Amino acid sequence: MSMTPTPPLLSVRDLTVAFRVRGEDAPVVRDLSFDLHEGETLGIVGESGCGKSMTALALMGLVPNPPGRIASGSIRLGDEELVAAAEARLRRVRGARISMVFQEPMTSLNPVFTVGEQIAETARAHLGLSAREARDRAVEMLRLVGIPAPERRVGDYPHQLSGGMRQRVMIAIALVCEPQVLIADEPTTALDVTVQAQIFDLFRELQDRMNTAVILITHDIGVVAEMTDRVMVMYAGRKVEEGPAADFVAAPRHPYARGLVNCVPRLVADPPDVPEPLFEIPGLVPGAEALARPGCAFAPRCPRAMPVCGREFPPVTASPGGRSVACWLDAEGAR
Amino acid sequence: MSEPPVMTSMPPMPPMPVPEPVSPARQAWRMFRRNGAAMIGLALLLLVLAEAALGPALYSVSPDDMVWMPLTPPGASEYWLGTDYVGRDLLAGLIHGGRVTLIVGGSAAALTVAIGVLVGAFAGYYGGRIDNALMRVTEFFQVLPNLLLAMVVVMLFGASLVNIAIAIGAVSWTSTARLTRVEFMRLREMDYVRAERSIGASDARLIWAVILPNAAPPLIVSAALSAGTAILFEAGLAFLGLGDPNAMSWGRIIGDNRPYVLDAWWAVTFPGLAIFLAVLAISLVGDGLNDALNPRLRER
Amino acid sequence: MIRTLSRRLLNAAGLLLAVLVFNFALIHMAPGDPVEVLAGEMGGATPELLAEIRAGYGLDRPFHVQLLTYLGRVAQGDLGHSFYYDQPVTGLILDRIGATLLLVCAALTLALLLGCFLGVVSAQNRNGWLSHLVTLLSLAGFSAPVFWVGILLILTFSVALPVLPISGMSSVDAGRMGPWGRAADVAAHMVLPVLTLASIYLAFYSRLARASMLDVLGSDYVRTARAKGLSRFLVVYKHALRNALLPVVTFAGLQFAQVVSGAVLVETVFAWPGLGTLAYESLLRRDSPTLLGILFFSALMVVAVNIAVDLLYRLIDPRIGAR
Repeated sequence: MSMTPTPPLLSVRDLTVAFRVRGEDAPVVRDLSFDLHEGETLGIVGESGCGKSMTALALMGLVPNPPGRIASGSIRLGDEELVAAAEARLRRVRGARISMVFQEPMTSLNPVFTVGEQIAETARAHLGLSAREARDRAVEMLRLVGIPAPERRVGDYPHQLSGGMRQRVMIAIALVCEPQVLIADEPTTALDVTVQAQIFDLFRELQDRMNTAVILITHDIGVVAEMTDRVMVMYAGRKVEEGPAADFVAAPRHPYARGLVNCVPRLVADPPDVPEPLFEIPGLVPGAEALARPGCAFAPRCPRAMPVCGREFPPVTASPGGRSVACWLDAEGAR
Repeated sequence: MSEPPVMTSMPPMPPMPVPEPVSPARQAWRMFRRNGAAMIGLALLLLVLAEAALGPALYSVSPDDMVWMPLTPPGASEYWLGTDYVGRDLLAGLIHGGRVTLIVGGSAAALTVAIGVLVGAFAGYYGGRIDNALMRVTEFFQVLPNLLLAMVVVMLFGASLVNIAIAIGAVSWTSTARLTRVEFMRLREMDYVRAERSIGASDARLIWAVILPNAAPPLIVSAALSAGTAILFEAGLAFLGLGDPNAMSWGRIIGDNRPYVLDAWWAVTFPGLAIFLAVLAISLVGDGLNDALNPRLRER
Repeated sequence: MIRTLSRRLLNAAGLLLAVLVFNFALIHMAPGDPVEVLAGEMGGATPELLAEIRAGYGLDRPFHVQLLTYLGRVAQGDLGHSFYYDQPVTGLILDRIGATLLLVCAALTLALLLGCFLGVVSAQNRNGWLSHLVTLLSLAGFSAPVFWVGILLILTFSVALPVLPISGMSSVDAGRMGPWGRAADVAAHMVLPVLTLASIYLAFYSRLARASMLDVLGSDYVRTARAKGLSRFLVVYKHALRNALLPVVTFAGLQFAQVVSGAVLVETVFAWPGLGTLAYESLLRRDSPTLLGILFFSALMVVAVNIAVDLLYRLIDPRIGAR
């Protein structure tokens, strides 16, 4: 994928998002760089608090401010630079060219407006449709996301729909303007397992139809393996590993990524008599102070930590096949 | 997976630095101390309390005696704040009245909280019919304008300090009851309450020893607000002529002098200012407590 | 909708009945005898006169008979007879109710509109100077005795700078004015009482609107609205405000009884010829039928307002109707 000569659709370089805590800037996303190509699905994996959701909000220009802000770096969508763009320009991008589906379908829809209105207003804002056309478009979108009897459901309020249905409505809102990039932040975490599968099927189907590039934020390695083309692992605000999803799941390189992959119990055709112990990563999810420390933030929890790990953040080691990892183990090996 | 899980047998982790435990009260005090407005309120409140406690002993002029020409403006005599319409020393009235106002306000607030917590705790803890019945009573008191009701009660039973305090408490408890009820309904479903119940704790123990302490933070804030409201209430009644005729209070000074307000602005302005500052002090402290006890709202 | 409404009406009727019984019990529990006061006012309390008055008001019959008679009368719109004014209480109240409603409605409208506006503006910039000012003003508004605020306003705008009338609802020579002149006259008399009464509730509403707006602005659906690329105006005034209004409306309904209480004090300060002044006058004369009649009538108003608020709430929040 990274070999394709076409320029990336979305290109993020050295993005740093900082929160002001007691007068000091605490970075929650640090020096993050990645590309997203047309039609591609990129998975972002990590624990809660690793900065993956904040990365998504940064792409949308929605970092809560105060206390947060984009401290440095660049986000380019096509030819347009989004960092430090005027609010009015960002507004034309949001919902139209980049849109987002949030984690919590139960609270992400406004309880006092009909779902039809919540879809239609986006169409009116960006596509300049009349009220009538926007409503028709809303019905069409509801049908597209697989809601039965859309002509009737268009007048329903969110509380009249189930969680899965609400998430479908959120997807309809996100896709009504046929955006180039769709960010889905743990879109199925709050839903039942069966509904999860349906929602992911819907994502795949709509992506094929609209050729939308998708950024899928998740902590579920199974979802990564199944849904994404490429994956990026974040730890404490930094990218620690990146590569094609299949290669990554088969052989993660960074000790943290290995931990993540090994946390997932595997289904084995011929189970051994003594099951392998289920793996866990020792220690706690790092707090804000860990992010400000020099060196690799994972070092305190890493079983293979070396003295250098606590002093300096490792260089990024690229290897063939579009893989890269930021770990002293690989850096040492490369030397 | 080329390698076996690497980390299953590992050296023990170095212990994470654990911040030393801080009691919730101390933590709240730390929050409170950082709040400038609340600290000003606290200082003001201590000042008002000290005045009420010590003032009458230090300033010996009686608030009930005619000491000078009626309606003498401030600064025109040895009585700094001037005199009222019968020639009583306004400063003496303020100093002695503070004690009465605070005692009536304080005891009325205590009664408000006591009734409110009792009703709210039973309604919230037992739910069902008891809740229903108690909420009907609450609703009943909520549709009666409380000042009118207190006017009726004081008119019929007489304007003694005790009656005034009871009347205020009896008509002001509904919001405390509602708040307590909501807290109890929330807390009674908590795991630690269920755990206590499962080992056979009595209802009384669950209500007073388990749930109530956990419901305390919002109730403390509400109690502070009740004290402010009760002082305003007492002043309002006294202003309408329902003060105890035998006890000078801030509200009564205003009520007594109201007909002469056009000639003696000071006789009304100063006692009103005293009430305002006392209630403002309580509100500021209550506000600070609210922020300190609700860490969730800290960033606001 | 109709079922909930009828349930509310039934509940309201129950409450009002309870108020009546309570009223009645209060008079009978009270020490002292209004008849003696009345007789005293008539100049001389001979036992014969007392008995005559008692019989005249039916005060010599057993408690439950009196209660039933009382309830029956109230059902016919008869709230009793004022000892002092020597008039039916109902008539007295109806004469005054208009002035009170005018005052209360104007003050509440002002407080709600301005309060919500200040709350919304200060929530949007929660650490700005306006936000701090709103917090400070609302604390001050809560802490100031309302009658004192009224007196200070009189001293300032009617005495020191004599631009507004001191008290009452109209000038002595209002009879000679045309209809517009009279309206302007009443409006001038209204300014200070309305401002005074509004000041307390302005404090409550702006504070509540600010807190509720802050809550809503941090909600997931407001983030969704922003993520759609809607304008700031639409995000704040369409998506956030309507949700933020819900607690304010609830609170306004719950507090309506207190507004009536505030009106009593404000009317007394400004000699505004409404129910509050009537309550104050009947308090001075120990005219309990009038005072209890006002208490009942106020409860009636509060109950009516609560039902109205309930209906309004249903209009704003579609979730309620479904429950």
